[in-house]
Amino acid sequence: MQEGVISESNLASFEELFENYVAATPLTKREKAQKIMGQLDTWCGKLEGIREVYDKVPDLTEAGIFKDSPWEHPGKLIPQLVNGTYKSGHPNSTIELLSELRMLAILEGNIAGSAAQKEEADSYLQEVLVYNLEFVFNEPQEETRLVMSEHELNKVHALFQFILEKIELSKVKSKLVEELTLICEQRPVVTEKQRRIIALVKEKIELNPEHPADMELLAFQRAIYKPSPSTDGKDHVSYGKLLQTMSIASLEKEAKAMGDSMLQFGLVSTYQATLLLHLVNKEYHELIPVCLGLNPTGVARFNEFKDFVCYLIVQVIHPFNAQCIFGLAKMLENGIISREAVRSGLYNLCKITIHPEVTNRILKSTRTPHEKVSPKQYLIGALLRILGQPLGVGQGNNPTCQSARGISMWSQHAPAKLIHMVQTAAVHNDLSFRFEGQEISYSTTVAGLVQNLDHHLDAVSVTLVPMLDRVYNEMMRRATGRGEDPHKWANPGLYGQWIQIGFASAYDYLSNAIVDFDGFIRVFYAMCHPQFNGGHRLVYPNPVGIFITSAKGEMLGFHAVSLLRVEEDPSGNVRAYFLNPNNEGRQDWGQEIKPSVYGNGEIHGESSLPLYQFAARVYAFHYNNLEASSNMDKIPQAEVEKVKKIAKDSWGKSYTWLEIKKQW
Amino acid sequence: MGWSLPVIESMQKLNKPYVVVSYPDFEGYAKENNIPFVSYQFNEWSDSSNSLDLKEKLDAFGADVAVPLFEETVEWAGALNSLYRDDPRVLNRAFLFRNKAMMKRKALIGGLRVGLFEEVYNKEGVKNFMKRLNQANLQVDGEEDSWVHIKPFASAGTVGHRLLRSQADVDSKCQDEDFPCLAESHLPGKEFSCEAFIHGGKIRFMNITEYVKLGYSNFIPEGNHLHSKRDRILKEMQKLVDLFGIQYGMIHPEWFLTENDELSFGEVACRIPGGHILELCGQAYGFDALGAFVLCHDPDLSEDELQQILPPLDARPETFYGNVMIYPHKNQISKLIIPEELKEESYFLDHNLVPPLSSQKISDREGFGNHFGTVNFKGSDPDRMTELLLHYENVDFYH
Repeated sequence: MQEGVISESNLASFEELFENYVAATPLTKREKAQKIMGQLDTWCGKLEGIREVYDKVPDLTEAGIFKDSPWEHPGKLIPQLVNGTYKSGHPNSTIELLSELRMLAILEGNIAGSAAQKEEADSYLQEVLVYNLEFVFNEPQEETRLVMSEHELNKVHALFQFILEKIELSKVKSKLVEELTLICEQRPVVTEKQRRIIALVKEKIELNPEHPADMELLAFQRAIYKPSPSTDGKDHVSYGKLLQTMSIASLEKEAKAMGDSMLQFGLVSTYQATLLLHLVNKEYHELIPVCLGLNPTGVARFNEFKDFVCYLIVQVIHPFNAQCIFGLAKMLENGIISREAVRSGLYNLCKITIHPEVTNRILKSTRTPHEKVSPKQYLIGALLRILGQPLGVGQGNNPTCQSARGISMWSQHAPAKLIHMVQTAAVHNDLSFRFEGQEISYSTTVAGLVQNLDHHLDAVSVTLVPMLDRVYNEMMRRATGRGEDPHKWANPGLYGQWIQIGFASAYDYLSNAIVDFDGFIRVFYAMCHPQFNGGHRLVYPNPVGIFITSAKGEMLGFHAVSLLRVEEDPSGNVRAYFLNPNNEGRQDWGQEIKPSVYGNGEIHGESSLPLYQFAARVYAFHYNNLEASSNMDKIPQAEVEKVKKIAKDSWGKSYTWLEIKKQW
Repeated sequence: MGWSLPVIESMQKLNKPYVVVSYPDFEGYAKENNIPFVSYQFNEWSDSSNSLDLKEKLDAFGADVAVPLFEETVEWAGALNSLYRDDPRVLNRAFLFRNKAMMKRKALIGGLRVGLFEEVYNKEGVKNFMKRLNQANLQVDGEEDSWVHIKPFASAGTVGHRLLRSQADVDSKCQDEDFPCLAESHLPGKEFSCEAFIHGGKIRFMNITEYVKLGYSNFIPEGNHLHSKRDRILKEMQKLVDLFGIQYGMIHPEWFLTENDELSFGEVACRIPGGHILELCGQAYGFDALGAFVLCHDPDLSEDELQQILPPLDARPETFYGNVMIYPHKNQISKLIIPEELKEESYFLDHNLVPPLSSQKISDREGFGNHFGTVNFKGSDPDRMTELLLHYENVDFYH
């Protein structure tokens, strides 16, 4: 059998099943339809398979495959429901897939329909596509990853690839703007997703600069394809030639335009790298901070470490490794460049030879590596981005929230340690940690949570995460069997001495139940709520374990986030601001709990929730055991009850609850 | 007698007058879909619920043949047919199918090869049976016990069937509610079943179903080795038909074929076999097997009709149809995952597996009853089919 093609015998099997279906009376039609679905389901993992299925859709529709089902009338379908149906798996997902293909067949005239029906089908498909960008780009959300099998993911990805080839996106402009805003406001380290959407828009939609709705999309376009008027119609090479002829005044204009453009969405174009390298080569040092869009603090730091920064720019930056310019700029502003250890670490990194295994991982994560950019440049570039945007670190499509959380924490509070870790890992493809007086190294431990690393990550993460994941897993293994949640010891073991000694868990290992949830919530509030903890701020990120729940509030699994700060938001509500390494802007945890990523006082990269809602999903956190218990009684019982009710009505249904009191 | 949509569909397509007798639960559906229906409590037998009463209800439909679709309806159909044919022995014959000890005795008298068997009433009885079997097998000290099977007298297929490999097994595997039941010696050999369609006391069509693993997988028609024994099997089958005095309908006995070509009789049923056998049989031979099953019960069926509905007695299809029943291998499951290899498998025909309800605990298996669905295959090579079925029995579909 040829790779990727449905075999003759499977096609014949379909014909046989289809004949049986057509011959069946209403009594057994449903059962026969189920069999057809079983066969078709196996075709759908690949684009070729979808194509075959698409060819069969008119016959299947004609034969009544949708009859007496919720999919019977194309005009009555609701785009918002599609995502949930895909998550429910086969056979529903297979019928849903057929339903989308029927819409496409109506649109393309393969199934007869009026002009109005075609119009409807077009709008429907466009909306479905926008609501399912996670499938279009194969970057599933946390919930999706937990509930969908690999085959189901491949299936919907192939379907949306197929649909995308055939439709336009002109009717969903405002939704695309919203989607891009949600992503860009988080300033993620990996910018592939927004770049793909922007490229998609460029390809699919004719934008009119006069039209207000189009202007926002054009702004995103400009950030990548035309950051300054002089780049119009040029690639970065001819732009580079143009720069050679420019006066200082014109160059300053260019630098200003580039800096502003970058700050708008956190996106860097190839032109900006060209310009920056030109400025460094020509030693126009006063224009470099302008090109980097620096604030006064950043400018001061640049001036202080001018030679070193210019050295880094020459070593690392290239038009095809340009995004790290944003990281570099933010790094100058946040001040870690002032540390001697950081500068030395970065300098050393420029001298290393990377282990071939690590080189492979880096090149794989880059997708389309450019021959002029070395793996080391990609690695250091990614490191600059992480050091500049610690809250932009993501886990990609991997269950490695713990590792991502660590990288983010180190980049803020132990940047030199992080750089050194990257260096060791990159050179030796190995990493060691001290844990309770013993050494744990990557090379001598067994597999962790990640079986197949999804390389949809930055170059630092692909270097470190496989190791961190295994080391953490080994720490968890060694700390298991102590009658308490092993995270209590593994968290400080991996992350370091910043982690508080006290550890609170809602779940009690010995009684296999949720024990003294009231006390748990009181300790939580006493730890972080400024009204009850003596008006203190949180100092270091607190590694928090949360329950992931579906949009219906049902328990799905566990997830690791970092609680960063608890403060009043602009409208005066106390909110929890946290790092969610899965970088998802459109989350719905059920019970109206929808973390926001901007508009409620978030710093780029933070997610936030009203504190009581966040508390209602927490199951473990660290605290100062000498401090919290004295504040516990200050928390009003009504607040505790409010949190408890939300918890009990959602994930709490999966557990036994014991009301006995516990010593905290 | 019994509710089966595919059978009702066959009757509609054949344009034969029929009426379905089943539990009151199905009455609503029947009414909605214009299916002639008589509601009856098969599990109640009393002054007001009996075959005479049922016959009266059926007379309104002009019924003159009763066809049992499921094990529980075999006596009811036997009783009605006794009345229709005015022959009390028809009912007794139905009892023969419902009591495995009686069935074996009848087979033994008629000269069929059967295992050693006995009715047992408690664990002690099974142990004594095993002891006598050990003696007969000339067991020496330290040798393993002879295997013993126990089966309820009247359950379908593998429900309540237990294999006991030692005296200790008797204590650990047998429950008090198993008794009384039939104990029998283990029959060695390859197991297969036959589906013989009988009219006027003669076998008019015979299918052989090759069991790859009992309760898990089978395919039709039989593989090449079994096929080479077909004539002998047909002879033994006709012997069984004559011995049991079966005039009309279909029987589904299970046989064992040893390496020395000896055939042993296992047991026999006269309702629709499990394991989707008639479905496979219909696909392989290209006929309406369920329709044929029903029609063969009718003494008034003409020779023409008979020939029209049944394949020739010597038919040998070139395409083999097989299935494997899928059971979860874990106690807790949350996902259905169709293995990649199945998607690439050119013999794959279809499946009807559905994902579990969120996180589902699996209760212990009773018989082989609770499979989660079936995966069907078709292809031209019986050896490849055997391999595939054996393989997929051990593949995890539920995680």
